[in-house]
Amino acid sequence: MSEMWINMGPQHPMTHGLWNLRVRIDGERILDVDPEMGYLHRGIEKISEDRHYNEVITLMDRTCYVAGIAWEHLYVQAAEKALGIAPTERSDWIRMMSEEFQRLASHIMWYAAFVQDLGLMSPFLYGMRDRDLILDLFQSYTGGRLTYEYMRVGGVRNDVPEGFTHRAREVLDWLEPRFVEYDRLCMGSDIFRRRCDDLGVLKANDCVRLGVTGPMLRSAGSKRDLRKDRPYSRYSQVEFDVATADSADVTGRYLVRMEEMRQSVRILRQVLDWLDSHPGPVLADHLPRWLGAPYAPIGREAYLLKRNYPKGVGLSAIEEPHGEACAYVVNEGGEHPYRVKFRSPVFANLSAAHHYLVGYHVADIPPIMGSVDVCVGEVDR
Amino acid sequence: MALTTLWDVAYFLASALLTLVGRVIPPLAAPLSNGDVIWGLSALVFGAILLAASMINTIMLIWFERKMLGRFMDRRGAMHVGYAGLLQNFADGLKLFRKNTFKPREADELGFYAGPIAYMVTSLLMFGVLPISTGWSDGSLPLSMLLALVIFSFAPLFIFISAWSSNNKYSLMGGMRSAAQMIAYEVPILLAVVAVVLVSGSFDLNTIVAEQQNYWFWGPLVLAMVVFAIGMLAEMERIPFDLPEAEAELVEGWNTEYGGMLFAFFMLADYLRALAGSFLIVLLFLGGWTLPTYVPSALTTFPLAGIFWFLVKTYAVFGVFVWIRAALPRVRTDQLLRIGWMRMIPLSLAAVVLAAALVLVKCLPVFGCIPSMGG
Repeated sequence: MSEMWINMGPQHPMTHGLWNLRVRIDGERILDVDPEMGYLHRGIEKISEDRHYNEVITLMDRTCYVAGIAWEHLYVQAAEKALGIAPTERSDWIRMMSEEFQRLASHIMWYAAFVQDLGLMSPFLYGMRDRDLILDLFQSYTGGRLTYEYMRVGGVRNDVPEGFTHRAREVLDWLEPRFVEYDRLCMGSDIFRRRCDDLGVLKANDCVRLGVTGPMLRSAGSKRDLRKDRPYSRYSQVEFDVATADSADVTGRYLVRMEEMRQSVRILRQVLDWLDSHPGPVLADHLPRWLGAPYAPIGREAYLLKRNYPKGVGLSAIEEPHGEACAYVVNEGGEHPYRVKFRSPVFANLSAAHHYLVGYHVADIPPIMGSVDVCVGEVDR
Repeated sequence: MALTTLWDVAYFLASALLTLVGRVIPPLAAPLSNGDVIWGLSALVFGAILLAASMINTIMLIWFERKMLGRFMDRRGAMHVGYAGLLQNFADGLKLFRKNTFKPREADELGFYAGPIAYMVTSLLMFGVLPISTGWSDGSLPLSMLLALVIFSFAPLFIFISAWSSNNKYSLMGGMRSAAQMIAYEVPILLAVVAVVLVSGSFDLNTIVAEQQNYWFWGPLVLAMVVFAIGMLAEMERIPFDLPEAEAELVEGWNTEYGGMLFAFFMLADYLRALAGSFLIVLLFLGGWTLPTYVPSALTTFPLAGIFWFLVKTYAVFGVFVWIRAALPRVRTDQLLRIGWMRMIPLSLAAVVLAAALVLVKCLPVFGCIPSMGG
């Protein structure tokens, strides 16, 4: 067979979203790849410029559909810095808890999709089953399972309901033995190791050079984790370890995510203990009225708004389940942000595809791309 | 007339039908009582019974797989059409039947349509050869096992034809993989069969089963059975060897461009081959329709006991395949071929040598004394 280009995507089982991986192959060997993104562009950054600060949160859920609340967290932090508002302490802990639950849900979703790409059918359903429990928890305190619209500038919308921490602990108790099961199905399988070892290798210095972050970077042995390196929220007050691996391959990324799930459970237990013993308000006092519901200031009020409210910029970076996400919010006065800009970790991870795909086989594309954990919503925004 | 064989049943039905027609339309009575006419119609009835039996079994096999996979995955499988979803596959088949069959403009018409049909037909042909009980086939095929394996190995040809003619890169790659895989695993399968032939001294499936009255062949030939089962797994293109249809990278492999009834043909033929493969394992290694002699005779003498036990064993064998499917990821093409050429063939050669040694030192009857192996 001579060389040919094939289009894996935009509608292809491997893509897990809407993007196109053009691959030049010779038989089964990959000679060149060319990722094409942009099929899911919704102009979220531009739309944000025409929204009240709290209305942008709705868009954040749509940015990454498997880690919505993490993106809400990212945005509200930047917006708070831009507006000079501080969240209440309890709401900050609740946010951290939400982010960790989201990390668990996202990683379990990743696990399910990843093993499905390898042809392992049952763990896919095990993963979906266990993720559902976390979504149930989300539903019990945010009302949403996929798009939460829960965080607010200055806090969160509501406190967790009574008995929530108990239920959450039950879920964690259920999840922990499941991770052992997951591991047994994958690391215990010789075929899995044969498929994944020494596959899609991307060394740490290449990761840094290409802007690749998150589990991909940590699987290359780097201990980079924004939760530790630049603690935001209350991450400096909880104990956890940064999961790393040395192999820089698909197996390494698998191990890193698995360990991260265990660490998330560890963090969550501490957060739940804190929430039990520290009641308090979850929304800051004296918030400007125009942050919230659609509200059109008129006359003198609008003038005062434009004139008196402090201007500023806010930059926040969080360790999102896929990697390091960054948000930049410019407040030029007024009820809308002047400019909102996001850095998507997956965009950088995907753009480096050439460096970890070329030279492997066509059959290696699903596990490698699966190990990247693509979420196209945030790539295209 | 004692209806001991399937042919007798077919002959009885055919002659009864012809007599009935002769009674209703007297002028036709004389020509219809001609021996050749009766023989011809009995052959048709015989074929129809085989077709119905294999089809129904195949569809039940799919149901069995769906339910079992469901349990493995912590869910219940098909539940809504019929009792416990028994009719779900019929509903699915009906849906596919009603769908429009379309062909890509650039596809080769002859190959595109002929491929799935030929694949289906050859898969069905297997069941004319495989006996599932005494008297099922008339025993006039001294090389029935060889014939079965020959028909079994037609598949890559038709798969490749349909893959190539659908003019799609994914189909072509799937077809290439399929051809490479099936050819690679044909060799160990045939070598494993040689071991059975050495021990049983016959190519006739009826004789092979009869030879297992004293001990089932999986005892002395356990290595050959393992090789045969793994080879069959690859021939059936099931996980972990379902690379030709690896949906993660090749969309749907060689049947990417097929829809509607043509896709149903592929699906059905796949499961027909899975059924035939399970049949072969039961016939060659698990004693066919026989049970060990120490089981109570009430279990072996009820009507159609042979067919019943044969199907029980078949579904058990297939159940193991489903279990494998639920538990393993798929291997990569080069790994698959390496396993085939570098591991399976030496293993199957070893199995042949082992079988020959067992025959030479005449220690086979020993296995008859081990209760779990029959006898």
